Amino acid sequence: MSQTSERPRNIGARVLRFEDPRLLSGRARYIDDIRRPHMLHLAIARSQEAHARIGEIDVESALALSDDIRVFTGADTVGLAVTANAEYPEVEFSQQPLLAQDRVRFVGEPIAAVLADDPYRAEDAAGLVFIDYEVLTAVSGIAAARSQESPVLFEGWRSNLFVERQMKGGDLAAARAAATHVVRRTYRTHRQAGVPLECRGVVAEYDPMDETLTVWSSTQIPHLLRTYISEELEWPETRLRVVAPDVGGGFGVKGQIFVEEVLVAWLALQMGCAVKWIEDRREHLIASIHAREHEHTLEAYLDAEGRLLGLQADISVDCGAYSTWPFTAASDPGMVAKVLPGPYDFGAYEATFRGVATNKCPVGTYRGVGRPSAVFSQERLMDDIAAELGCDPLEFRLKNIIRDFPYKNVLGFTYDEGSYAASLEKTRELLAADIAEAHRTRTSDETRIGVGLACFVEQTAHGTPDFTRRRVPIETGYESARVEMMPDGSVLVETGLQNHGQGHETTLAQVAADALGVTPQEIRVRHGDTLTTPYSVGTWGSRGAALGGGAVHMAAMEVAAKLRAIAAHLLQAEGQDIVLGGGYAALADDPDRHIEIRHLARAAHRNLERLPDGMGPGLTALAGCDGPADGTYSNAVHAAVVEIDMHSGKLSLRRFVVVEDCGTIINPMIVDGQVRGGVVQGIGSALFEQFVYSEECQPLTTNFADYLLPAAPEIPDIEVHHIETPTPLTPLGAKGLGEGGAIGPAAAIANAVSNALGISVSETPLNANAIWTLIQSATGKSETGG
Amino acid sequence: MKTISLRVNGVSYSVTVEPRRLLADVLRQDLELSGVHIGCAHGACGCCTVQIDGYPQLSCLTFAVQCNGAEIETVEGIGGHDAGHPLQKAFRTEHALQCGYCTPGFLMALKPFVEQAIERGRIPEADEIRDAMSGNICRCTGYHSIVAAVRRAVHDGIHGDSA
Repeated sequence: MSQTSERPRNIGARVLRFEDPRLLSGRARYIDDIRRPHMLHLAIARSQEAHARIGEIDVESALALSDDIRVFTGADTVGLAVTANAEYPEVEFSQQPLLAQDRVRFVGEPIAAVLADDPYRAEDAAGLVFIDYEVLTAVSGIAAARSQESPVLFEGWRSNLFVERQMKGGDLAAARAAATHVVRRTYRTHRQAGVPLECRGVVAEYDPMDETLTVWSSTQIPHLLRTYISEELEWPETRLRVVAPDVGGGFGVKGQIFVEEVLVAWLALQMGCAVKWIEDRREHLIASIHAREHEHTLEAYLDAEGRLLGLQADISVDCGAYSTWPFTAASDPGMVAKVLPGPYDFGAYEATFRGVATNKCPVGTYRGVGRPSAVFSQERLMDDIAAELGCDPLEFRLKNIIRDFPYKNVLGFTYDEGSYAASLEKTRELLAADIAEAHRTRTSDETRIGVGLACFVEQTAHGTPDFTRRRVPIETGYESARVEMMPDGSVLVETGLQNHGQGHETTLAQVAADALGVTPQEIRVRHGDTLTTPYSVGTWGSRGAALGGGAVHMAAMEVAAKLRAIAAHLLQAEGQDIVLGGGYAALADDPDRHIEIRHLARAAHRNLERLPDGMGPGLTALAGCDGPADGTYSNAVHAAVVEIDMHSGKLSLRRFVVVEDCGTIINPMIVDGQVRGGVVQGIGSALFEQFVYSEECQPLTTNFADYLLPAAPEIPDIEVHHIETPTPLTPLGAKGLGEGGAIGPAAAIANAVSNALGISVSETPLNANAIWTLIQSATGKSETGG
Repeated sequence: MKTISLRVNGVSYSVTVEPRRLLADVLRQDLELSGVHIGCAHGACGCCTVQIDGYPQLSCLTFAVQCNGAEIETVEGIGGHDAGHPLQKAFRTEHALQCGYCTPGFLMALKPFVEQAIERGRIPEADEIRDAMSGNICRCTGYHSIVAAVRRAVHDGIHGDSA
């Protein structure tokens, strides 16, 4: 290896983002900014019923509105669907047709596609599509879905279960027999979603010149979308281009294939011109992707010393009306079953997990995928156990925390090295004054302070084996990158990731710069366009830095090796160590002998006579980086300090502290931004956000006055502390980071509220009404007790 | 259809619009000012904030015909191609944006607040800054860095650019 110590390192530096001037000046181009000549606008007539048979669809009034109106219904799209198959016998196959066939299963399901020259008129016409419904009984939740009385939502299904399976490890019966304490609790989280500020949108256009269909979509997974459309419409991928332009937030929501994406592509082929669909906020809130509607019953077994012996879990998730592609309805419940063992050392575990079908919006991925709910239950349980045992919750965790690495957990997953105990100890130090204050206000009738924490590991950068085990359509877990140094010495990095706020245009340039010895400013990162980027699975699952960055590093190192070989040849120093840095290639032992890297680049492309014998032209490399078999495990402790006014029930979040370890940090500014943003989404989960449905499964939270997102005044500064334990499992030592912020807050805040009120909180969100009710039960209990 | 005149970012336009057309749509589509973003179209998220006659207003709750003769400023008008306005520069320095979708709305809502604070010569407290952005939702940053950016922009406005 060449010496690297004296070169300025870009990895680890606070480099300001290269994408910002575009985004700050209004020059960015989001999906609604894509405009094509002769473009038609699509509005969708959606189901107003949660569960119904569709009778006649009367399109005459819509067509009569003006000459440019065209209407398509399910009769035109027979056989076309988004199909989320999975290859387990315990998993039911579900299909959402592009346009409803004979039956609708949630409010908002697309029934008719209405095209017009003008988006206002398309909406007018969609409102004039009259649909006859024969209303059926709605299946409203987990209990209803499991009841024998309820209708079964799909023909040929035995019950309303998308999936019911088990995961187990160790001898649970022995743990139960040996236990001196058994703690059993049920915890619930409610329906929420990522809610990016840019809604979804799709534009598609067929170009007869080169017989290519181009689809622009506000998606996190352009290559997967290309593959899906290709397979569904039987259209070759060589003549299909998917472009994700600037994307206004995703958070997992835009990480699945939607019927609208396939529908718009199909309509563009039917019409022979461009078709555009821009989702409105109501559509987004009722008919995109929801998450987090979980119910977990846990039973923990402990010995007399307060050591965890085993855990049993029963996990149910309300997955809504359809399974989704590519992660399926098994994703949320399966994730919970997999991650519940968490950062704790115990030897027996058994989980039964199920996803049930109901007449609500389908459930898909949202930042953390199952983990926010899993960690809520896991960490509430830890506090509840500590309370039963009469010990300090932090000390109880320290007693049971994993300390030796690599650690093979109860399910056989191997954790790489982390800083679990150190993070807890750091948190104890940071919160000492708050913990003392919480003690002092414990019985106050005026204001109480509560401190709560959440300690968790997050499996990130999942590799192909992890997805092979799941046997769901995602199938694979690698990222690819192509690095090309141009004749002028500037560098193009093409990544299969899709950047929707993560800062890839900057961080990936930092990675390539260190490998190539040039500045990040000389590097342009392209992403989001299947025509110009190598095939990858996209941006999700906290994999950008670890795997996308890893792929860039691998490809750039290959280019760097060629630069070194050319430099050694031109400096007549074959076999000697060459260092790349500061725009020069120099002899490691004699830096005065050097040559500019841009001259090497020119030689490689234009002056082949100067290259070593037998060396081919060009400076391009393509690399794929697959994740480790069990992923790599980030860890964090989140701590919340809440203040509760006992008269009004008003909760204020005084402090929120994060101690996290994501391995090697490429750009600390971006890491802090990801953590803080995730935390505030998690605070939304803890305190504000809930999709409410009526018993008939009518959505009652259809705008931002009813579905409450956190706004600035309710949110404190978020304190972030880092411990850096690089992993040997990825090329840069980076672990995944993007989702972690959103995983801990619900648990930490619920623990803080439990701590303040001396009770056990069992569900979120803890909105004003919930806090008020908890105070009543807490003070009522203390009155009868005292 | 109604013909109205608008002065946008210092340029005069005459446009013929349906009375029901939103100002946001006219700015975005007719005048091709795509820095105006629509996040909710019901006045709750602040993405579409522009200045109408010097005040931050929601262009999704405003009909274009209500603005006949008005002076309108959008994000394209404040710092040009390179985002050179001090608040834009502070947003970059403090990493106060991620996906960027809400950013033009925040900039247009906070610009007068920052200018007034500079005039008064006092850096506002965090809760004042948070109140000033209470009509805008950001789903990426968690607000922390936007507060820091406002503080920096005011500081630099009072003491001279430190960046």
